[in-house]
Amino acid sequence: MTVLVQLDGAARRFGSGHTEVTALHPTSLTVEASELLAVMGPSGSGKTTLLSLVGGLDRPTEGRVVVAGQDVGSLKARDLAILRRRTVGYVFQDLNLLAGLTARENVAIPLELDGRPIGEARAAADAALDSVGLANLADRFPDDLSGGEQQRVAIARALVGGRQILLADEPTGALDSITGESVMRLLRAHCDGGGTAILVTHDAAHAAWADRVVFLRDGRMVDEARAASSPDLTTTAA
Amino acid sequence: MSVRYGLLALLDEAPSHGYQLKTAFERRTGGNWALNIGQVYTTIQRLERDGLVESLDGDPAADDERRAYRITQAGRSQLAAWFDNPVVPEAPARDELTIKVLLAVAAGDIDVSVLLQRQRRASIEQLQAYTRRKAKADPKRDMAFLILLDALIFRTEAEIRWLDACDARIRSVSKEAAR
Repeated sequence: MTVLVQLDGAARRFGSGHTEVTALHPTSLTVEASELLAVMGPSGSGKTTLLSLVGGLDRPTEGRVVVAGQDVGSLKARDLAILRRRTVGYVFQDLNLLAGLTARENVAIPLELDGRPIGEARAAADAALDSVGLANLADRFPDDLSGGEQQRVAIARALVGGRQILLADEPTGALDSITGESVMRLLRAHCDGGGTAILVTHDAAHAAWADRVVFLRDGRMVDEARAASSPDLTTTAA
Repeated sequence: MSVRYGLLALLDEAPSHGYQLKTAFERRTGGNWALNIGQVYTTIQRLERDGLVESLDGDPAADDERRAYRITQAGRSQLAAWFDNPVVPEAPARDELTIKVLLAVAAGDIDVSVLLQRQRRASIEQLQAYTRRKAKADPKRDMAFLILLDALIFRTEAEIRWLDACDARIRSVSKEAAR
């Protein structure tokens, strides 16, 4: 299997001496292609720190974080920016869609920032919108879309141009359960198609879409749950 | 209770034999709620005793397998009342997990957070198994099955939320104590 994300004793500490705070203690973890990983834990347990390290938004203070074969800690700022634009996509609870741009234009932004011709960027945006079932809404502005549709636009923006690694921080937080489920189906489909996604969530029902759920506590990975390969489902009549 | 009203509802649509009732009940409930045929016959006998269904057959000596039943007027009104009224939650059961956590907290020498995490992992793995079934189901064709899965998923999720709350409550008290 191809390893897309690898943490090798990666830690993130802030400050020093007796004011030092450890957001993430040395942590080792690998995520393979086709794998959906969920990260759970109470607030302040290090979930978002872990996601920021994998996404190249932050660098480890010790250990290594290797994303798609590149060591995040030793990349120059310029190369880190390229990694963020071409390989990694983010989805947050706050979608950050630009209100003055259509769905297609929002989705095309990462490619335009990467210097791709506008025509090419928009064609890729249409393909990404199609993959999340929104091909017919490409010309709508965010305000004319439902919450679930906006979240799908954000997922299309994260995946546009064939980015393999999707990082999602509470992507279903503001959605009702059935709409949230449709977002999880998209994450699942991305991974079943050979990509990888890391999902940070408080919601156990959404974490359960993952192949593996790791539990963080006080900045340490304390446990993990794995989906059984042959799920047993028995109900008995009451 | 649920089987009793389930059979009444099916007999309200058409008279049936026990075996037909068993297969129809399983289909309606998503195909994953296996009914024992013996349970079907005992339930029908009770319904008959209570005057809610009656045998179509004139011969009371005919064996269970050959008898067909239909709903009576009394059965119809009891079924209508069942659909019209909310299910009243029974007094909460003293379930094993709640008791285990309470006793562990009181014991003082058991690491409750480890106990809670072990349980959390088991519950998430159960949720993962349900969710795998859900991912494969077709939203239109398998709607009954999906509704059943949702019931199982949300109950398990509620248990996990309770575990998280126990954990947070215990931690907040021990943090206070450490100050």
